[in-house]
Amino acid sequence: MHSTDTNILPKSANDLINRKWKFSELISDSIVRERWEKVRKYFFLRETTYDMSNRCNLKCDGCYYYEGEKQFAKENRDTEAWRALMVNEKNRGITYVVLAGAEPSLSPELLQVCYDIIPLGSIATNGVKHIDRSVDYMIHISVWGNDETSYRTRKAKDLLKKQIKNYKGDPRAVFVYTFTRENIDEVYEVIDIIKDADCKITFNMFSSPVGYNGSLRHDTDSLKRTRSVMLDLLDKYPDVVLFSPYSAVAHTHASSLHNLYSCPYPRMNPSKDIGLGRSFRQYRTDLTWDRSAACCVPDTDCDDCRHYAAGSAVVTARMYRHAIDPETFKSWLDYVDTYLAIWVRGYDKGKNLCEDMYPPPGFEL
Amino acid sequence: MAVNIEDVDLKNITLKVAEVVISELKLEDITPDTFDPELDLIDELGIDSMDLTTVALVLQDEYDIVIDEDDYPTLKNIRLIAEYIMKELKDK
Repeated sequence: MHSTDTNILPKSANDLINRKWKFSELISDSIVRERWEKVRKYFFLRETTYDMSNRCNLKCDGCYYYEGEKQFAKENRDTEAWRALMVNEKNRGITYVVLAGAEPSLSPELLQVCYDIIPLGSIATNGVKHIDRSVDYMIHISVWGNDETSYRTRKAKDLLKKQIKNYKGDPRAVFVYTFTRENIDEVYEVIDIIKDADCKITFNMFSSPVGYNGSLRHDTDSLKRTRSVMLDLLDKYPDVVLFSPYSAVAHTHASSLHNLYSCPYPRMNPSKDIGLGRSFRQYRTDLTWDRSAACCVPDTDCDDCRHYAAGSAVVTARMYRHAIDPETFKSWLDYVDTYLAIWVRGYDKGKNLCEDMYPPPGFEL
Repeated sequence: MAVNIEDVDLKNITLKVAEVVISELKLEDITPDTFDPELDLIDELGIDSMDLTTVALVLQDEYDIVIDEDDYPTLKNIRLIAEYIMKELKDK
């Protein structure tokens, strides 16, 4: 059972927090140690993202791709140019690719080129067009509500039915339900369909593009309601939902991910010394990139960013800040275990170590 | 247990840092004695921020000091890490 009283921790938890912990103590418990050893094997992952096309077969309200300059990039469909790029990327240490915008399934030959050279990665797709099994990346299929809502906001008829038809039982598939201010309760009917299709679901938060102030943007009330629904679904569908209580905390907090954790992507981080600030790039479909715009979801308003892809890097990168007490560290481990299960083929998520919510370091719940 | 500053010197700290880096990164074919103190951990050894965080947390335990997250980018080789630790021990 998850605690929903958002400002009160169990007394024992407060006792644990009010002392200084050594790292060796945090990982002395055999279960925690095992989880730590499990996730640290993936510290070698170094990501970069790529827009694969400037075309899409849908036109969605609030779409990230059709904001800012990147949408005007001229599409490069030359497989040899992409092959050369991937070889260069591999040589500079990139071990993980995120293939996105506008709709990557419309460039199947390029997906195959990427996979042949860098075999770890994921594809962000709307799921309308099936991606061949020979491209063994994780497939993230975007869901923005039930089919009625999808028709209204994405102009797509029977979208979930099409997505399910394409990816039923596919171990690559994770359905990514984006909570907006308007579709919070619709997730219940969607998750039943996804469960019946033997698929997994994780959660994303609508994060406004710069300048967007429309009806999808979250407010205080919708953030609270979304958190409550996420925790309820974690309880009711533990075998279907890839998420953790701390994931819910991080992504539905009143403060954005950047304000909670200091985003390390180049767009917000001038340092080129180490980590994402050093290695991350966001390539446009013409194979150029711009450091000042480089983050996982460019043109998002950083003060409203609660995006699942951002959190996967932003929260994970702040291990040091979470190594302060057993519950906070276990919460972080749950978060990383969740993100790896969502992003890495063959990685199996373990049972969450923390059943209750704990606050981000330095913040209230 | 905290380390007594009288019992350590820079060479010993450097060896200990090398031992931790080798152990945590599971490096093979290298010993603390043969670890080049000037080897660039990021450019030449290829370690990333998560590995460096792990090393820093283990060294914090070992010397009972705090290695500030903001200082990680300056810790480019084991000599610099050892000097950082030495300074922290002296300032305690």
